[in-house]
Amino acid sequence: MRKFLAKNAPGYLFLSPWLLGFFFLAIGPIVTSFYLSFTKYDIATPPRFIGIEHYEYMFVWDARFWQSLKVTFAYVFMSVPGTLIFALAVAMLLDRQIRAIGTYRALFYLPSILGGSIAVAILWRQLFSNAGVINSIVELVGFEGPYWLSDPDYSLYTLVILAVWQFGSPMLIFLAGLRAIPQELYEAAEIDAAGPFRKFFAITLPMLAPVVFFNLVLQMIEAFKTFNSAFIISDGRGNPLDSLLFFTLYLYNEAFSFFRMGYASALAWVLLAIIGFFTAIAFATSKYWVHYENERG
Amino acid sequence: MTRLNRRKFMSRAAAAAGATAAASSFGLPAFGQEVSRIRHGWWGNPERDRRTFEVIDIFNGKHPNIEVVGETLGFNDYFTRLATQIAGGNMPDCIQQGYGVMQEYVDRGTMIPLTEFVGNTIDISDVDESGLSAGTFNGELYGLTIGANTMATVFNTALVEASGETFDSVTWTYDDLKRVATAISGSTPDGVYGTDDSTADWGAFGVFAGQNGFLSVFSDDGEDMSIDADLIIEYWNMWKEMRDAGATPPGADSAGLAGQADLTVQGVVTGQTAITYAWSNQIVGIQGLMQDKVGAAMRPHLPGGEPGQSVQPSQFICLSRDTVDAEAATTYMNAFIHDPDMTAVLGMERGIPEVSSVRQMLAPTMSEAEATTVEYFDSIQGHVGPLAPPNPAGAREIEEAFERIAVNILLERQSIEDTANQFLQEARGILRRA
Repeated sequence: MRKFLAKNAPGYLFLSPWLLGFFFLAIGPIVTSFYLSFTKYDIATPPRFIGIEHYEYMFVWDARFWQSLKVTFAYVFMSVPGTLIFALAVAMLLDRQIRAIGTYRALFYLPSILGGSIAVAILWRQLFSNAGVINSIVELVGFEGPYWLSDPDYSLYTLVILAVWQFGSPMLIFLAGLRAIPQELYEAAEIDAAGPFRKFFAITLPMLAPVVFFNLVLQMIEAFKTFNSAFIISDGRGNPLDSLLFFTLYLYNEAFSFFRMGYASALAWVLLAIIGFFTAIAFATSKYWVHYENERG
Repeated sequence: MTRLNRRKFMSRAAAAAGATAAASSFGLPAFGQEVSRIRHGWWGNPERDRRTFEVIDIFNGKHPNIEVVGETLGFNDYFTRLATQIAGGNMPDCIQQGYGVMQEYVDRGTMIPLTEFVGNTIDISDVDESGLSAGTFNGELYGLTIGANTMATVFNTALVEASGETFDSVTWTYDDLKRVATAISGSTPDGVYGTDDSTADWGAFGVFAGQNGFLSVFSDDGEDMSIDADLIIEYWNMWKEMRDAGATPPGADSAGLAGQADLTVQGVVTGQTAITYAWSNQIVGIQGLMQDKVGAAMRPHLPGGEPGQSVQPSQFICLSRDTVDAEAATTYMNAFIHDPDMTAVLGMERGIPEVSSVRQMLAPTMSEAEATTVEYFDSIQGHVGPLAPPNPAGAREIEEAFERIAVNILLERQSIEDTANQFLQEARGILRRA
């Protein structure tokens, strides 16, 4: 033990800021929320243990819980593929030697820096408002634009578009991946008279699979956790008609608007389980479509 | 948000220099003493924020031992932040509360009764009886009322005049409203309409329920609703007729405003309509955002004229259980409703003051909007009903549910009957869970 300490103490000392933060600011609250999910806790008075009542209510009685799941899943299944496809397309455009390429890359990355911010969500509200920029353009073309934000049939699309617009970080990762594909493969394919589509599906995509997988997992987790933009655009409540009632937004309102911290903790654990489940699925299926270059077999 | 005034700046500069000796030689004994830092949180609007920060500066100038710091937010965010502060044990010392939600906060023990401070730091001898009884919950005084308040119809006088229609601002009816609003829609350019649409307005529905004999929409024990679906259907049909007559903006426009409390989005302020439904203490704030002169009327009546609105406290200033110095905090609270210099700045913005001497002092110095408020207040005497009992826990959630579900009607996605039943079912579920 003494030997171990003598050898490793300085290392742990340097790690200690991170370790303290991890145990007290991350693990501590996570464990506490697990306990709170089995209690009735109104924030102001001490929690009272009630067993699995919250989980039972959630799955059996709570229509808004199911609505929030519906909204969140619809969002994830639209925004994640949308973002990935768009990011890959832009990355391929930028993967060439043209003048001032660095400037273009910076410009295309810009939305990702701004995208998560409150200011952009507010700007988005203005763009898509009834008399906003988007509808003015739609009108110029000769159509009448919908009420993007107050019509439940359209409201979710504004958020999907906002998500796709923030394609910057997956794009940069794709770009790095594209650079790593050996040019010889393309040259060999060209000699075999492969067209651009064939080259894309036979070389680019398979070679890029690990990067696609990485981006997919990351984007999916991010999409499940979406909160800021939904909060701003839906008046903090999921308006209109719960069409923007994201899971995180519902959780937030249960906790801080309606004093149901215990129930909100239960919701948080369900979200964790959902994200864990889908990440596990992605990993489990990855061996069928993701191949790494150094694999032999 | 901390505002640095000259006094604070000097005290901080002095403290930083550690110059206690120098300070006393300037004849400022305060520097040698412990300064109590008191936080005051409120929800508001730009006009209220300006006045309240000014009041805080005045108070700090008069009380070298107390430093009050103001924190302000919009109405909806105020309560969610308060919830996080309750959880964190760091509520402001003095918090603003409203009559509609106060019972819930009292029952959860988040506030300290003021009873023990009365006669010491708090003087209630000249506060109106109505204000005191409204601030009393479970037998104890929990809040000093900042002003008396009642609902109001706020209208753009220029647009109403231009329509050529007139109405009695006290006794008018929903039929009058329909007539005037339709005329305004006709006499204004396209895109400007007579009145805001109250389909998704829980407060306006409460007035309608009152006019139909329901003092509260909740049952006496707070476990059920007192109203039935028919009343809601009647209310929504009435507004549908207004919409069909062209008195209001299209339903989809109004849907986007459901539940938005901000004064800046109300129709009379944005210019989309000429008539908005608000509170009497918001008249000053609305006028502050407008060029045209605003007028005030009662909420419209049913043909029989039964009262549906009441006079109630606009807001309370309360002592939170997280206060760091209850004596300093209550000193500030007392000054907030009594000090002539402070109340002169506050004026009528939070409602008609409930301290008689303050009312008398304000009378000669009123702005036009404040005069409108007082005039309106005087005119409705005898036309208001009794104050409804405090709301049960869950009332705020039910209000949000109403605002959300009513959008179904504005967007014509569900029949009025189905929507009314859906709302009642959800409301009962909320009361059962609360």
